[in-house]
Amino acid sequence: MRFSLSRRNFLKMLGFGSASTALSSCSSEPIDKIIPYLIPPEEAVPGIADWYATLCRECPSGCGLLAKIREGRPIKVEGNPHHPVNRGGLCMRGQASLQSLFNPDRIRTPMIKRESGDFQTISWKDAEKEILDILKTKIDQQKTGEIAVITPLIKGSLERLLKKWMDAFHIKNHLIYEPISYEDIKEANRIVFSKAEIPLYSIEKAEMILSFGADFLETWISPVEYSKAFGNMKRVDIKRQLIYIGQRMSLTAANADEWISLKPGTEKALILGLIHFILKEKLHSDLPFLELELIKGLVKDFSLDRVSSHTGVSQQTIERIGKEFSKANPGLALGGGIAVKGLYATDISVAVNLLNYICGNIGRTVRFGHEIGIGRVNPYRDMLRLIESIEQSRLKVLLLYNVNLMYNLPDSSGFQEAIKRIPHVISISQFMDDTAKEANLIIPSSMSFEEWGDYMPRKGVFGLQQPVIKPLFESRGFGDILLSLVRSIDEKQKGQIPWNNFHDYLKNSWKGIHKDLSPEIGFDHFWEGSLRRGGVFRAETDKEVKLSTKVSLDSKIDLKDKEDEKSSTLLLYPSIKYFDGRGANKPLLQEISDPLSKIAWDTYLEMNPETAVALKVVEGDFVSVESKDGRMELPVHIYEGIRKDVVAVPLGLGHIEYGRYAKQRGVNPINLLSKKTEEISGGVIWSPIFVKIERINKKKSLASTQGGRRQFGRGIAQALFFSIGKGILHLKTEKDIKKEIKEGKKRDMYKPHPYPEHKWGMVIDLNACIGCSACVAACYMENNIGIVGEREVIRGREMEWIRIEKYVENKGNGLDIRFVPMLCQHCENAPCEPVCPVYAAYHNPEGLNAQIYNRCVGTRYCSNNCPYKVRRFNWFSHSWPEPLNWQLNPDVTVREVGVMEKCTFCIQRIREKKEVAKEEGRRLRDGEIIPACAQTCPTEAIVFGDLKDPKSRVSKLWNSQRGYRVLEEINTKPSVVYLKKIKREI
Amino acid sequence: MKLFKKPLLIFLSGCVILFFGSGFLKSPYAPVQPIEFSHKIHAGNYELACLYCHSYANRSSYAGIPSVQRCMGCHKITAQNKPEVKKIHEYWNKKEPIPWVRVYKVPDFAYFTHRRHVNKGINCTTCHGEVEKMERIQKVSSLKMGWCVKCHKENQVSRDCITCHK
Repeated sequence: MRFSLSRRNFLKMLGFGSASTALSSCSSEPIDKIIPYLIPPEEAVPGIADWYATLCRECPSGCGLLAKIREGRPIKVEGNPHHPVNRGGLCMRGQASLQSLFNPDRIRTPMIKRESGDFQTISWKDAEKEILDILKTKIDQQKTGEIAVITPLIKGSLERLLKKWMDAFHIKNHLIYEPISYEDIKEANRIVFSKAEIPLYSIEKAEMILSFGADFLETWISPVEYSKAFGNMKRVDIKRQLIYIGQRMSLTAANADEWISLKPGTEKALILGLIHFILKEKLHSDLPFLELELIKGLVKDFSLDRVSSHTGVSQQTIERIGKEFSKANPGLALGGGIAVKGLYATDISVAVNLLNYICGNIGRTVRFGHEIGIGRVNPYRDMLRLIESIEQSRLKVLLLYNVNLMYNLPDSSGFQEAIKRIPHVISISQFMDDTAKEANLIIPSSMSFEEWGDYMPRKGVFGLQQPVIKPLFESRGFGDILLSLVRSIDEKQKGQIPWNNFHDYLKNSWKGIHKDLSPEIGFDHFWEGSLRRGGVFRAETDKEVKLSTKVSLDSKIDLKDKEDEKSSTLLLYPSIKYFDGRGANKPLLQEISDPLSKIAWDTYLEMNPETAVALKVVEGDFVSVESKDGRMELPVHIYEGIRKDVVAVPLGLGHIEYGRYAKQRGVNPINLLSKKTEEISGGVIWSPIFVKIERINKKKSLASTQGGRRQFGRGIAQALFFSIGKGILHLKTEKDIKKEIKEGKKRDMYKPHPYPEHKWGMVIDLNACIGCSACVAACYMENNIGIVGEREVIRGREMEWIRIEKYVENKGNGLDIRFVPMLCQHCENAPCEPVCPVYAAYHNPEGLNAQIYNRCVGTRYCSNNCPYKVRRFNWFSHSWPEPLNWQLNPDVTVREVGVMEKCTFCIQRIREKKEVAKEEGRRLRDGEIIPACAQTCPTEAIVFGDLKDPKSRVSKLWNSQRGYRVLEEINTKPSVVYLKKIKREI
Repeated sequence: MKLFKKPLLIFLSGCVILFFGSGFLKSPYAPVQPIEFSHKIHAGNYELACLYCHSYANRSSYAGIPSVQRCMGCHKITAQNKPEVKKIHEYWNKKEPIPWVRVYKVPDFAYFTHRRHVNKGINCTTCHGEVEKMERIQKVSSLKMGWCVKCHKENQVSRDCITCHK
């Protein structure tokens, strides 16, 4: 036999050889290290989560958090149920806050700008020396007036320390800057009630709410608090209504019973018209004669017919609202949203105050004496003064702490030019944002999760912020930076500020709170209790206010300031995702689509379909938008919920820097704003901005997560209507429900599943769901869901396990937008299960449609067969750039390419609680297992539980008169029941 | 071409031996550890309870590897002159944890909890073998799914996939 080494034989040999080596190497295991603790932490048990109370600092609302710590890392945050602001709920920005902490683009070391313009890493010692040199020179020259400190809203101990520190360095200028502020409300309260503060609004108590552009379910003042209250308000009485008045149907407006669209800039006339009508019809509450005459004098020009023709709202509508609002006991009128922050912002807030006053709502739903923190912010006017003093070279040193002025101030303000003229810009910042980039010296400051602190969102609420992880990089807390700097100057100052670190200072400062609030218990006991609870909370009593005799407002009706007929009015609004722009560097917030536009990863111009036809543009076409102060190009999104003469752009994107996720993405519409401020309050004039819109020859696909906007009669988002006098129409009766259950049983081909122990089920109340998408964010964070980026979202490859579907209905004349949280329905007759060739999808004995990832071979049959389109396929192995991956939940597998995944009803949480119950030798309690989506929901719309337990909340809601299951007719028997939304029939 | 024939045959037979032999010759996985720690001395001779060192086993999913501090608790005084014990002192003085080589590992997609198994009264030896007789720790169970299921079947406990697959 001849044996020649042909190519064929060589390959055979090679193949066999490598196979045998591979097989023989099977016997040895891959080397894997197991590293024990050197000294184990006392309380921590690896594998068991610890929860620490702390605070959310993503916006000025000051919600309380509970951070879940596994093996020393925070992996999830949830709302603190004891905190009076958010009471357990949390918005999507709060849920994503861990992506601030673990952001891969954080500033890691102090840096100094070289002459070439690049930044060079320096040591903390050198950085501190740099700052001290600058400050000491100014002190020696007695020119500390040339120094200004700008911070965001800081309250409590940090604010007091900063004041002490500034005294030590003889610095006088401190500005508190927040891009979204409410100086108009504050000023109006000074004018009307001689009390310059922002009141507390009791939405829960209101029988009817009139919102004039106040988007209180999204970004206005304290959205989680107000969302929670709104959910409760609707639960108390289904017939309580919200009416939204504005040019654009915002998320808040979409949740209102009625959206009244009026001509831009005519809100004041409408409110005064309402007051005029209520006073004329004598529907107002008891008022002293003099006050009545005073108010009558202010509104005398605003007769129904004039207001109607001026605003474009029909007389009947004004009459109806006027009657119903004055009848509401109590009602609540809200103003001061960004949509009405225009030339007459304060006047509008004054008018809102008067409306509330004549209807007897002051002291009932509008409560003073609580000193809401955001009222402390310096108005835009002060920023302009600062810029002026830079221009006049009266300001030489700027110390910035976590403010992004380059991004948030419009180009027209002149700041972008002015900052280049300041010799010393010191930026204490967490991220390399547009402002830090311009600094000479960058000091990395810690995230709230890494530092001690406290925050008082209002009087009586002392939130305590404890660190939950050591600083990841060489960052330090702002308080520690201040204390360290003061230690380096002379002895006398040190005597004033003797603390070694901010923790000591904070504790000392809390001794004062202890003395005031509960001196009867020892301080250590008080401190520990506060840490555990997340702070100290005391109910404050309201302060009574009286109508000022000096109430005044510009009461001319003809307030037309439209420049020419060709221009449109541009409306800017803070995005629910990015807020004022600070959310843009979190990949999760970029990936989740906006609840209304369903667009992710980009800025867009919202335009009415008719306007679009006139301009000959379609979705995704670029237009140029030009105001007097700026011009930009951006794609068009067609939206029915906006007036023909108005276009709108969300804030938040268009950063020049700010990390890989935000950089050079979208446009920043703030640059279209003018330098002018509102005369009375000094606030930014957000609207109206007159713009010229022109079509340009450019097009892009927008990353939309929802194709169709219509239901086509499929009954996915169902609603019931009520009319005054008749009650709710078409409500199911007991008999209907019994019949349904009987018929449902008849339709089955197979025997029902036995479900020996538990049967998990969920009820989602669409009357409470506001579409805010907090559940989506919570789900991403809990379940290690991959982020795919803009290009893949356009291809429909986003991975969200729960999504908010938006449907548009036209009922009568009103536009009706409905939201449905859509997640795996865990069907009893699940179409996905029988088609899986490898039994990766199967029905578990507790009613879950389980998915076994390492069985899955990725045929995608299950997804094709799912009528709800809730299964997601991993087209890639997703990556979490270090240290974003530190946040991953160790209880959930990170799925790889080629695997199908979907909602599990948070199986890891079910497993955990079942184990705890078994260890304690008891049955599971109702409400013990809460999936991430239900936990975070600000309106508590989602209820999860065991359907085998007849006493559980979910069982009681299961056969509700409002209940329905999506696509019931195909008999998939979902384990998710939706409760129909209730809207007022118009 | 004859030249090629012989080495090729030798190579092929070598492969065959390796292929079939690997099954028979395979000894239990017992990697060399940074310190020659003997379970035989600790658990066998001195009859220390498993939970004394693996203290999380009845509280958590992880059994836990003793911290260096725990080792030093005894060895600060006990047997401090033995060469292997000196190594512990070295780690302790350097303030470094001991990089033990992992022997038992449950894959990332599976959930296993020591707590439930230990508290249900299953002996540690059921899965980990007669540790008290081992000089160097050996892997005696495959930790493969069939091995898990066999026991779950015998004891009539949950065989629902997502009890263990996460």
